[in-house]
Amino acid sequence: MADHNPDGDPTPRTLLRRVLDTADPRTPRRPRSARAGAQRALLETASSRRLSGQTKMIAKGRSRGARSIGRSAHVQARGHLEEQTPRTLLKNILLTAPESSILMPESVVKPVPAPQVVQPSRRESSRGSLELQLPELEPSTTLAPGLLAPGRRKQRLRLSMFQQGVDQGLPLSQEPQGNADASSLTSSLNLTFATPLQPQSVQRPGLARRPPARRAVDVGAFLRDLRDTSLAPPNIVLEDTQPFSQPTVGSPNVYHSLPCTPHTGAEDAEQAAGRRTQSSGPGLQNNSPGKPAQFLAGEAEEVDAFALGFLSTSSGVSGEDEVEPLHNGVEEAEKKMEEEGVSVSEMEATGAQGPSRAEEPEGHTQVTEAEGSQGTAEAEGPGASSGDEDASSRAASPESASSTPESLQAGRHHQFPEPAPPPGAAVLSSEPTEPLLVRRPPRPRTTGPRPRQDPHKAGLSHYVKLFSFFAKMPMERKALEMVEKCLDKYFQHLCDDLEVFAAHAGRKTVKPEDLELLMRRQGLVTDQVSLHVLVERHLPLEYRQLLIPCAYSGNSVFPA
Amino acid sequence: MEEEGETEEQQRFSYQQRLKAAVHYTVGCLCEEVALDKEMQFSKQTIAAISELTFRQCENFAKDLEMFARHAKRTTINTEDVKLLARRSNSLLKYITDKSEEIAQINVERKAQKKKKSEDGSKNSREPAEAGLGESEN
Repeated sequence: MADHNPDGDPTPRTLLRRVLDTADPRTPRRPRSARAGAQRALLETASSRRLSGQTKMIAKGRSRGARSIGRSAHVQARGHLEEQTPRTLLKNILLTAPESSILMPESVVKPVPAPQVVQPSRRESSRGSLELQLPELEPSTTLAPGLLAPGRRKQRLRLSMFQQGVDQGLPLSQEPQGNADASSLTSSLNLTFATPLQPQSVQRPGLARRPPARRAVDVGAFLRDLRDTSLAPPNIVLEDTQPFSQPTVGSPNVYHSLPCTPHTGAEDAEQAAGRRTQSSGPGLQNNSPGKPAQFLAGEAEEVDAFALGFLSTSSGVSGEDEVEPLHNGVEEAEKKMEEEGVSVSEMEATGAQGPSRAEEPEGHTQVTEAEGSQGTAEAEGPGASSGDEDASSRAASPESASSTPESLQAGRHHQFPEPAPPPGAAVLSSEPTEPLLVRRPPRPRTTGPRPRQDPHKAGLSHYVKLFSFFAKMPMERKALEMVEKCLDKYFQHLCDDLEVFAAHAGRKTVKPEDLELLMRRQGLVTDQVSLHVLVERHLPLEYRQLLIPCAYSGNSVFPA
Repeated sequence: MEEEGETEEQQRFSYQQRLKAAVHYTVGCLCEEVALDKEMQFSKQTIAAISELTFRQCENFAKDLEMFARHAKRTTINTEDVKLLARRSNSLLKYITDKSEEIAQINVERKAQKKKKSEDGSKNSREPAEAGLGESEN
């Protein structure tokens, strides 16, 4: 700097020199010295206030005079940002800051002296709106060499920047990175202006995608369900209160309800729902799709009615989303499998229909019909259905349970030859409406199971929505249903395992150790990656505080 | 040191190979039986694939069993661990449970015999009877 200054007016130059005494010689500036001279002349002519004792003024004058030059110089300065001296930072700030200031119509002093290199405007234009704005504001170019006191400049910058920001919206977005860095270093306030103001909100089209498909028929289905529920409230209540309700208790009710149900046209829906619920429910707590959950309750009753001594637990389980039924472990699983098999067969029969209706009584009739129709095939139904439903893991259990379902089915066939036809007709009528309801979210048809089923189905539908969002392409309804089923099975298995692990350790509560064991089996937790590492990586801070023991003052460790 | 490590590695590797060969042989025998039963032939690749699969699955089982035992705060693998391992397959689980009950019964009987022996042993008069019992039992 000092090298270049002496050419033009000595006074401003000397001032500049004083201000910039520590300025490092910038090579780019040297070549500019020739131009600087011209610029200085301009400055002298243009600037009226020089050396008012305030370097600021001088700088302003200069900046006005040789704004363009200053800009170029700034650009240079920026190029040297790496040096990162306070002066350079200031310069950068000034460069990026809008030129206008309240004190002076012209932009705030341009940093740096810039001996001013007259930089080709390319930088200026690239610099961005800030620089360009100046000329708009004040056509006169001013050198902005003088470095005002940093504080002053900053203040001015802030004001000016604020003004500019207010006036021009987001002019600063174009500032070069260097300025941004400098500004960040120097002043946080400047940063806000220096960095692009546009928040660059990420517009996720996917978020707006796929609003839940609601069918207008819901009302009709809902009314039907209400009707159905009214028929079997006692059963539901029974299930609610006794998760492991005895089949004998439920069966009489079921029988009673059965005759009443056939009339409803929602039978198909119930069947479908029942199938779903059973298939998903048997597992356990997760009656993911609302329909299944509801259905499970209905199905469960059916099964109980026919099974007589069969798993009321399954129905109870289906009814409840809790893991309670799993306590029995394998037994329950087997029972559920049977139920599942039954329900599955039903589902196969009716082919995935309106799940929303999970009225038990209707479901029962439907189930029986389905079973009857399927005949012995149902024996393999559990296996087939499991396969059909991607429940290959359950294949083994269904096989063992198939024997019982067969007996049950035989009984069912006998029991419902008559009721079958009437429900069949009703079913047919309701079938057309059911496909519409297939994709429904949970419907609390039954008063009892409603609180239990809804959250589960809601939970799974949430996952399905996430899945459909991340898929980034439209998906068929059937595909989403399959995804839901898979998720349901997955969660069932998961909770099964967790329960068994806890029991294996002689506990009744599932603890993080059980989860760690599960994740180890999944391969997520290895000798290199521990559970704590995963917790830190993926969970929010609140959970981390709860899970990872941390020592606090007072000789206390939480949570351990 | 490195050489020792290498030789150890080699020994382990050769040991592993021998084990794999043994598994392969057993799998081959079993497949032959099944082939005779179902009148369907097994290709060599199939048998090799099955034996490789069996070997790897055994490794997984061993790791899981160890994890289960450690989870139950034990250092010895138990029948409970084995049952936990086989819980997925119902028929297999049933089979294992029956077998374990059988073994438990045998153990109980043996204990009863031992108790009897000890009791009889205290009574000299019964020694010959014990001997007889022991022989008959065993």
